[in-house]
Amino acid sequence: MSKNKKKKEKVRIAFFDFADCEGCQLQVTYLNEAFLGVLEHCDIVNFREAISERSDDYDIAFVEGSITREHDAERLKEIRKNAKILIAYGACACIGGINGLRKKYTADEAINIVYAGRKDPIEAGEPKPVHDVVKVDHYIHGCPTSNDELVEALKGILLGKGYTPPDYAVCVECKLKENVCLFEKGQVCMGPVTRAGCNSWCPSWGNTCYGCRGLLPNPAKEGQMDVLEKNGYTINELEQKFDLYNACKLEADKNE
Amino acid sequence: MRHYYLEKTSMGKFIESLKEGYRVVAPIKKENQFVFAKVESAGEVELEYLPTVLPPKKYLFPQKEKLGTFDMGDTKLTDTSVEVEPMIIFAAHTCDIEGLECLDVVFNSDPADPYYKARKKSLLIIGFECMVPCDEYATCRTMDTHNPKAGYDVMITDVGSKYVLHVNSKEGKDLLEGNSALLDAGNGEAKTLLAKTREEKLKRFDNKLKPEFSRLARLFGDSYTSPVWDEVGEKCLSCGNCTAVCPTCYCLDMYDKVKLDTTGGERKRVWDSCQLEEFASVAGGENFREERSSRQRHRYYRKFDYSVKKYHKFFCTGCGRCSRTCMAGISLIETVNSLDEENENV
Amino acid sequence: MCNCDKNKVVEVDALYYPMEGTIVKVEQMTEYEKFFEIRLSDGKELGNMPGQFVQLSMFGIGEAPISVSSSPTKEDKTTFEICVRKVGTFTNALHALGVGDKIGVRGPFGRGFPVDELKGNDLLFIAGGLGIVPLRSLIRFVMDKRRDFGKVDILLGCKEPKDRLFSNEIEEWARLADTNYTCTVDKSDPEWKGNVGVITTLIPGVDIDVNRTYAVIVGPPIMYKFTIMSLMDKGLPKDRIIMLLERRMKCGLGKCGHCQINHKYVCQDGPTFRLDELTGMGEAL
Repeated sequence: MSKNKKKKEKVRIAFFDFADCEGCQLQVTYLNEAFLGVLEHCDIVNFREAISERSDDYDIAFVEGSITREHDAERLKEIRKNAKILIAYGACACIGGINGLRKKYTADEAINIVYAGRKDPIEAGEPKPVHDVVKVDHYIHGCPTSNDELVEALKGILLGKGYTPPDYAVCVECKLKENVCLFEKGQVCMGPVTRAGCNSWCPSWGNTCYGCRGLLPNPAKEGQMDVLEKNGYTINELEQKFDLYNACKLEADKNE
Repeated sequence: MRHYYLEKTSMGKFIESLKEGYRVVAPIKKENQFVFAKVESAGEVELEYLPTVLPPKKYLFPQKEKLGTFDMGDTKLTDTSVEVEPMIIFAAHTCDIEGLECLDVVFNSDPADPYYKARKKSLLIIGFECMVPCDEYATCRTMDTHNPKAGYDVMITDVGSKYVLHVNSKEGKDLLEGNSALLDAGNGEAKTLLAKTREEKLKRFDNKLKPEFSRLARLFGDSYTSPVWDEVGEKCLSCGNCTAVCPTCYCLDMYDKVKLDTTGGERKRVWDSCQLEEFASVAGGENFREERSSRQRHRYYRKFDYSVKKYHKFFCTGCGRCSRTCMAGISLIETVNSLDEENENV
Repeated sequence: MCNCDKNKVVEVDALYYPMEGTIVKVEQMTEYEKFFEIRLSDGKELGNMPGQFVQLSMFGIGEAPISVSSSPTKEDKTTFEICVRKVGTFTNALHALGVGDKIGVRGPFGRGFPVDELKGNDLLFIAGGLGIVPLRSLIRFVMDKRRDFGKVDILLGCKEPKDRLFSNEIEEWARLADTNYTCTVDKSDPEWKGNVGVITTLIPGVDIDVNRTYAVIVGPPIMYKFTIMSLMDKGLPKDRIIMLLERRMKCGLGKCGHCQINHKYVCQDGPTFRLDELTGMGEAL
């Protein structure tokens, strides 16, 4: 009886997508058991991947995708107004993601590469991560997001302590699992400069880390470039490794 | 204590016999490296191996472990127990045995760690002596860990035609008594064989560190403000690999893992690393080791200076793992030798 | 041959297990700081020495090292007091608790102030910002045993007048004989009649007998360097300067490594240190 327990009402959750592949939302449908557990605490009121109903009455908004056009920004601001907590969900929303590559080109160049030959007008704005448009309360990184992390984050938010993703490198989690380092196998990995939290998802399955969770707050970029160069990569290839997911940030840094 | 002989052809039979009463963990191939893992069949065990990715400390101080369970809103941790399994660490190198000796000092010093102690109590260590240095990274000769000294129950040494097993504890004696794979060896004869083998062995082990063992502590005493730390810091990626693989690193963090229904959970501890940026920061935001150079220096000093002051021991076992695992090529041998050169030039 | 083929479940010492505490009093001190009085269950006494800390624990949130602000000389020994600024996840959650709520307590940990060494001497207390919180445990100790100590000077520095902590109490003590109190703020407000400026500006004005004075300093890292310089300018020797160093203790048991300053563990060798003990410890200040 003496416990500090407070009865909680069900939290209303909504998902929204912008410029992205919706793959992170799709991850949610793979939650299975954990999903049912989550449903005990939450009502999902907006979720295009699985339900057709819509509602503007929600507590937590999961925003997926990067923001590229003016009317997207307006829509996002509306979502921010309605939501008590706004979560940037997935690489596109958190860091701009692969869409960030668009920033390496002018609008015309980009349209020409992607839609070569099309004559009708195409709007190709500059992609932005969600926090460039509205305040973000929590980040769930990844391309796609990891369901384990989603569940951890949700529990943290439901408990009122929120969720802070790790600020150390993927290597930390990779080593605890005693994976053989990809560098030891002659492969190249973005793990040392990429934010952990995925439990070294890709390296644990023999893949390299692509850096989808974004660079560390203070990455040793020069050190990593040295390492990659020692492993036989050209500067151009190195830039590509960094740009694949982080172009939004890196291009913005250049302009500072 | 007594000695046994083991014919080389009987090694498989010997390992199988150990498995009868214990979970036997030993070096096993993983891709192009080695890891300590449970032995399913004796054939998997690799006796000639480079140091494993993680040292055997993981069996005494697991990467993540439960400290207790709780109900939300309560203040009591329940489930005050550790599940331990009678275990044999088989074919541990002498450097790794020294690593466990270091951890013993830390976890047994007041207040002793009950989780570590419970695990250690149900553990037997059977060493396997290295007859050749493993690779260019190991500094066991300088650190004086290349020969068996203490910290094991049984040590296996290849004396050419057969193995000699040295029994070093009562637990070891009880374990081997009556084992049909073994032959009794006269102590005098076995000792002579071992001494001769080690005399030959020593010729193959060279000192890769320029400063001698006896000079190391002084060298570090004089090197706190050395520019070498800046050079090391510039290379460092702060990935934490060097501390995870170190047989004597024991830093930890604690966290609560809450159950899905948020009614309770487990309080746990997890390996942490002084190389990570936030390791030494406090709630108000101050970070007492903000620079990579100061974090790397801290790591080295924990092996060669602070440990000597606190525990009267070097905490570098010379296993070479930190250098072997470092993508940025930070080499313990280079660092220590640079400090030495610089010191001579002063 | 051993036949122990079963796993064993071994009971372990309750090293990491918190005691049960109940919050019996809460007081909002400033915009960000709250005062809590906590009673241990079953009539247990914390038995802290001034300068020691506890690990407070809220399941699901975690643990945090918190300085004890009360003295062991207080009347009701089954409670202790803390004062906490809201700065992160843990302290936010703590601020949300009220009277009657439970909280886990481990400790007390660390080496407190050397009260026996201080006895018979004049004392100069210097507190910057939140430094008054742990220092209060010692000041109260001294005030409760006032006859054991000589002259007492208390210097307090904070950002603005509204940030002052325990100022009513301190003003009360300052009425006692041989006890002086001076406060300075970085930024004044219209009602403020006291000093404006950093705390070191107060030091020249204090009358110090260097042979019978101990200075006890607690404050943010930046404050130590300049305060120590001022004190040494006045001729106070290193072994008469005592301070309390803040680090992020996680275990409190000399294991986790987070609170390490060179070869010392703050959770066991500290948090209080005499300046001469810090010689050769480059990370301390």
